[in-house]
Amino acid sequence: MKRLPSTTLLWQGAICIAILAIWQWGFDLHGRFPNLVPDLLDPYFISKPSEIVNQFLVLGCLKTSLGAWNGWTNGDFGRCMAKFDNNLWTATWVTLRNTFFGFLTGVSSGFVLGLILGRSDRLSAVFQPFITAVNSIPRIALAPIIVLAFGIGDSSKVVTSWIVVVFLVFYNTFAGARSVEPGFVSAARLLGASEWQIARTVIIPSTMAWVFASLTPAISFALIGVIVGEFIGAEHGIGRLIIESEARGEASGMMVAVIILMVVGVILSMLIWRLQTYLLRWQGEQAQ
Amino acid sequence: MEVRGLSKSFKLGTAMIEAVHDVSFTVCKGEFVALLGPSGCGKSTVLNMISTLLAPGGGEILIDGVRAQPNKASPQVGYVFQRDTLFPWRTVAENIGYGLELAGIARAERAERVAACIEQAGLRGFADAYPSSLSGGMRQRVALMRTLVVRPQILLMDEPFGALDTHTKIDMHEVLLRIWDREQQTVLFVTHDLSEALTLADRIIMFSARPGRIKEMFAVDLPRPRDAVTLRETPHYGELFTRIWHSLGEEFIKGRAE
Repeated sequence: MKRLPSTTLLWQGAICIAILAIWQWGFDLHGRFPNLVPDLLDPYFISKPSEIVNQFLVLGCLKTSLGAWNGWTNGDFGRCMAKFDNNLWTATWVTLRNTFFGFLTGVSSGFVLGLILGRSDRLSAVFQPFITAVNSIPRIALAPIIVLAFGIGDSSKVVTSWIVVVFLVFYNTFAGARSVEPGFVSAARLLGASEWQIARTVIIPSTMAWVFASLTPAISFALIGVIVGEFIGAEHGIGRLIIESEARGEASGMMVAVIILMVVGVILSMLIWRLQTYLLRWQGEQAQ
Repeated sequence: MEVRGLSKSFKLGTAMIEAVHDVSFTVCKGEFVALLGPSGCGKSTVLNMISTLLAPGGGEILIDGVRAQPNKASPQVGYVFQRDTLFPWRTVAENIGYGLELAGIARAERAERVAACIEQAGLRGFADAYPSSLSGGMRQRVALMRTLVVRPQILLMDEPFGALDTHTKIDMHEVLLRIWDREQQTVLFVTHDLSEALTLADRIIMFSARPGRIKEMFAVDLPRPRDAVTLRETPHYGELFTRIWHSLGEEFIKGRAE
């Protein structure tokens, strides 16, 4: 990655500070300039940075709601964690775990299906209309059915996440398997490769480039799937935290959850991006 | 290697186009034969049928007296493509070692043979490079070595240097001649470049414009070992060039008229 010039960094820092400042103090000017400051800046809707930080500490069991710090050694932190079962740490952990399983199952099953259908003209012809039909359903619309069928535990979140991811990866793998350079297959065949060896050494590696390209969106999709599942019904998770805060009219709680999701999303995408760049290093500089 | 009465037609829309018509020739063991003709005359089709990539429409191909079966590639036959078909996800060494890997050759022997090939092709220091970082000439050298590493007795080459510039092409001729002098494979080399055919081959089989059939054969009795650069300055090269050029020119004109 190229290093950013310092003026770019400076600008980015300035924009951050400006956003935070307007967020924190902007609405104080509402009384004086009602036409200049939109109602949407009302902390009732979007909270404000200081409250969000405070709410972060409360939801994370680091402070009591009265503002006192929970001690680590005197056991206050432990007691809070035990009593408040959807605390920030548990919620994040549960959401991450379900995202991971949804991603894993979605990617692997999408890959296998895409590979099989992509390399078999007959199977792809038979299944084409079904795939098109299922694919035109907005997957999120299935979430309530899934929660109904699989309960409010973790499995319904994994399934929701899976169903969002599997199609994405399936389509990419399918396209990749269809577009394997015929010259590669001929070259392998003439060097004595069996059908199985061709699949293993030519078709799979060549399709991989397409699959990797779908991994970054797939991880975001997996997270979306889990959050939506948690909205419908869940015991734990960030999505549940958002719904609870909304019910209590606590914008700060929702904002904490959203910020956590943003951080989680950025970290996951960066990890996948790293992995992808490493695995596709053979594509050379120009491709990256 | 013997080719008897080979023909092939392709469907083009509703019309059938005859690409190859009744082609017969024999290539002796260790002989270097060039198939020369204008573009689209079916010479590559002949090569593809010999390689078993294409099923013949009629006629048969005998290799050491055994009839070639469609889609059953013989390990004795190596093929070098017109476009480079190196696997981009494999390094130079992994590409060259591919055929050995398929054959289940042990890692140590594989490494040794690959290293020898890399040396021979003048690719030292590029063993771990990916094809995307190589020049066209280097890529084609890797492709050549990927075919040669399994030591085929027959080498089929379909305009392998067609996409290279003149200078790189002559370099490749020298590499190929050096290898061929030592290994003495039977080579069938498709080209539309007369000077290339004269530099490399013992014999030139000239194809007519479509439908491809054999028009004439020329023995290239230039002394070996040949030097790809100085060869062109000898008077005999000039004589042969003029004679074959005249015959080839007729076909170009016929091909254009179509």
